[in-house]
Amino acid sequence: MSAKHALLGLLLNRSAYPYELADRLQARLGPAWAINSGQLYQTISRLAQEGLIEQVDGRSEPRDDRHVFAITDSGRAEFERWFEDETKETRLSRRPLLVKITLAGPDRLRDALKQIDVYELDCARRLTELSQTQEAIPVGGPQVRADHVLLRLSLSADIFQLEGELRWARHAHEMISWLLQREAIWPSAPERADAQSEKARDRQDAREELFGRMAARHLLPVDGQQVPVDEPHEPAKRSPRPGSGDTAS
Amino acid sequence: MTLLLENISKRYPRAGGYKVALERVSLELERGQITGIFGPSGSGKTTLLRIAAGMQAPDSGRILYDGERLDEMSASERMRFRRRAIACIWAAQPWQERLSAIDHVALPLLVDRRDRRSAERRAREALLVCEAEQCACMELHELSDGERQRVAIARALVTEPRLLLADGPASSLSLVEQEGIMVLLSSLAREAKVAVLITDSDAEALLRADPILYLLDGKLVNPEPIGERGKLYSFPSARSRRAAVDA
Repeated sequence: MSAKHALLGLLLNRSAYPYELADRLQARLGPAWAINSGQLYQTISRLAQEGLIEQVDGRSEPRDDRHVFAITDSGRAEFERWFEDETKETRLSRRPLLVKITLAGPDRLRDALKQIDVYELDCARRLTELSQTQEAIPVGGPQVRADHVLLRLSLSADIFQLEGELRWARHAHEMISWLLQREAIWPSAPERADAQSEKARDRQDAREELFGRMAARHLLPVDGQQVPVDEPHEPAKRSPRPGSGDTAS
Repeated sequence: MTLLLENISKRYPRAGGYKVALERVSLELERGQITGIFGPSGSGKTTLLRIAAGMQAPDSGRILYDGERLDEMSASERMRFRRRAIACIWAAQPWQERLSAIDHVALPLLVDRRDRRSAERRAREALLVCEAEQCACMELHELSDGERQRVAIARALVTEPRLLLADGPASSLSLVEQEGIMVLLSSLAREAKVAVLITDSDAEALLRADPILYLLDGKLVNPEPIGERGKLYSFPSARSRRAAVDA
């Protein structure tokens, strides 16, 4: 989402200078909400143009950063409207790293693996930083501070997301390392059949043969059915050892 | 229908009373289907597998295989039946570590007095199907965890069972190996029309199973199959399930 509604929310109870808003945004919602001054003033002037906030200090400075802003009635109405909307949209991320891995091809797969390692390390580093930030926020004590609890909650959203990314990076490392050791068929190969190794074909043939035979056995009654063999066998003269005939190994 | 378990209960004597292992568990295993059961350690998964395999008698309840009562068979009849139709893979199975993989896989055929050459040919075929043919001449102690699991599946397949019961077949494996084992088991179910029952304490290891059921303190807490894969993610945690059972 854009910072528009977050800024309106911050102005609900207190008017503020723009730079205060930027600080409060990050302090209340966490580092993911860091906003640069260009984006900040662009959003402020758009909100003012739409009549959702107004300048309340009566000064005639030309620059926005010298003015105090407050929310207007239509700004409150817009915030209420936005708040009432159900939040149910979940977005899947488009990861540039995944595109690189997917399009790397067999020749550049090892380079992709290095990039996965770098990404994994970065996730781990950011996770450590965020966890330390989160742990430094006191939540216990005789006086519970709602803003501390809510900031922790906000940080935990980033932490859980990063944990997911880290888990994915480790999985990606494992998958790509495994793929590197295999004779895989690549989409760029001109003929799929040509690329398929003899070993893979042997396995496929054996599987069709065995599974086909097993599927056909379902038509026969279990009772009296023999464990399959190629040739008829001579019945053994001695009986099997007690307890040794359990196929349930 | 292949195997039907009806109202199965089992208790183990303990000092000063009993421990309930299974309580009125009903379950139907279909051909061509992988049924997954997950639950924490001690929830009764292994007892359920042992009863389904006919290796242990329930205190009460019925076990029917295509309409035939397994629980009413004599021990020798049941053992014969098991050898013909059921194979199991146990999480902790005692292996003769000095045996070669091919001998280990061929063993069920050899103890069934089959011709050695034919048994070896079948074992080699099962190893090939399980993508473990390169392990054939290696001794069991030389195999990696993933290879051992593939060899265990090959040994289960060599008797061409109709029902495969596996206790945590993908536990303690890497995600890639886990996926490989589950792909193998699902093609076994689909193509060979085998009914497969697998248990695991980790629900994620069962993602290819359908239905997936949850066993807690000997009860199937959700008797309705979870069915669609995505629903697994909305499945409540074990803790909230426990609260539901206690209530």
